Amino acid sequence: MSASLAPECNEVKEKYDNCFLKWYSEKFLRGTSTNDECKPMFDAYEKCLSKALSERGIDKMLAEVRQDNKENDAEHMKPGR
Amino acid sequence: MVKFYSSQETYSYSFPAVTLAYFLRYPNPYATHVLSTDTIARAYDPATQRLTTVRLHLKRSKLPAAVLRLLPKSLLGASATGESQTYILEKSVVDVNEGWMDTESRNLEWTGVLSVVERQYFKRPDVPDEAKLFKGIEGAARRHGFLAFAKDGRGLRVEDNGDTTEVTSSVTLHSHIGETWKRKREAASEAASASASPAEDDAPPKMGFLRSWGTAALQRQIEKIGLSRAQRSQPNAKEGMKVVLERMREGGLVGVLEGMRADREAILAGRSLLAPLAKGPNDSDE
Repeated sequence: MSASLAPECNEVKEKYDNCFLKWYSEKFLRGTSTNDECKPMFDAYEKCLSKALSERGIDKMLAEVRQDNKENDAEHMKPGR
Repeated sequence: MVKFYSSQETYSYSFPAVTLAYFLRYPNPYATHVLSTDTIARAYDPATQRLTTVRLHLKRSKLPAAVLRLLPKSLLGASATGESQTYILEKSVVDVNEGWMDTESRNLEWTGVLSVVERQYFKRPDVPDEAKLFKGIEGAARRHGFLAFAKDGRGLRVEDNGDTTEVTSSVTLHSHIGETWKRKREAASEAASASASPAEDDAPPKMGFLRSWGTAALQRQIEKIGLSRAQRSQPNAKEGMKVVLERMREGGLVGVLEGMRADREAILAGRSLLAPLAKGPNDSDE
């Protein structure tokens, strides 16, 4: 599995990734999935990761990019284009 | 000014296998510069059967020497050699019903110098009408898929059933260099004119024209360098996907994960995974 940018999150990430791959290949790709079964594991991973992202200032960078994208989307969706 | 590069090809693997390989493509022997991959958001909509994923990759990167020469030292700051790590934001949507995957990756840093947006669109080839008669969810998944589950505990296997997946790749390059400085200058002069004497408003317009011409030429030059770099790195991105797909065909999901582990260990040990090519794959961005 690929590494997390935050080594302290590797363990929870691997648990989530394993769950996701199983769900994705056995249910999602077969079209039989009714819900995202790996949510609890994702939540644990996200909790660890979001701390790491804010410590490194990456959360701010992400927020800026998403804001830029929103402005671009708004521009592209203007009527009359 | 924007530069654009696009290519098309067909993978000789089924659509489900290709989507899985996309999620599992780092690290691979052609992408040893990818240091980490994290999923930062994921949403599944059961009504449409679409899966949206946002991931953050950290790559070791280096600004091309040709770009470095064009940039003022003040802009480069601490990383005077242009050596750095760069974050890439990747968004993907998979629609398993309609048989497509749309992906987009963009750099998060140096966007003022050069913003690079890569798109890949994967598509399951259209099924002839008579085949649609047999369409049931399970049947469709079997027909288009590789979904054989081995009983020997090796998990998912790729069946070599002649399925293919079409992929369209494009790279859009856009340099905004100079624009931020221009904005800052404008903001500064506005602030100054608000308080200072009105004489300062009458700056000669000729200087502005020369300056903006210089900016446009610089942007074009940087986009050109970025484009040739993107063209060089595209084959490595494709080779990387093929390595992952081949591992999947040989050893299923377990085979992919084992290959990944070996790559990761080799990267940590600083070993080269490939015989040297004309241009090392580690130099590429993708």
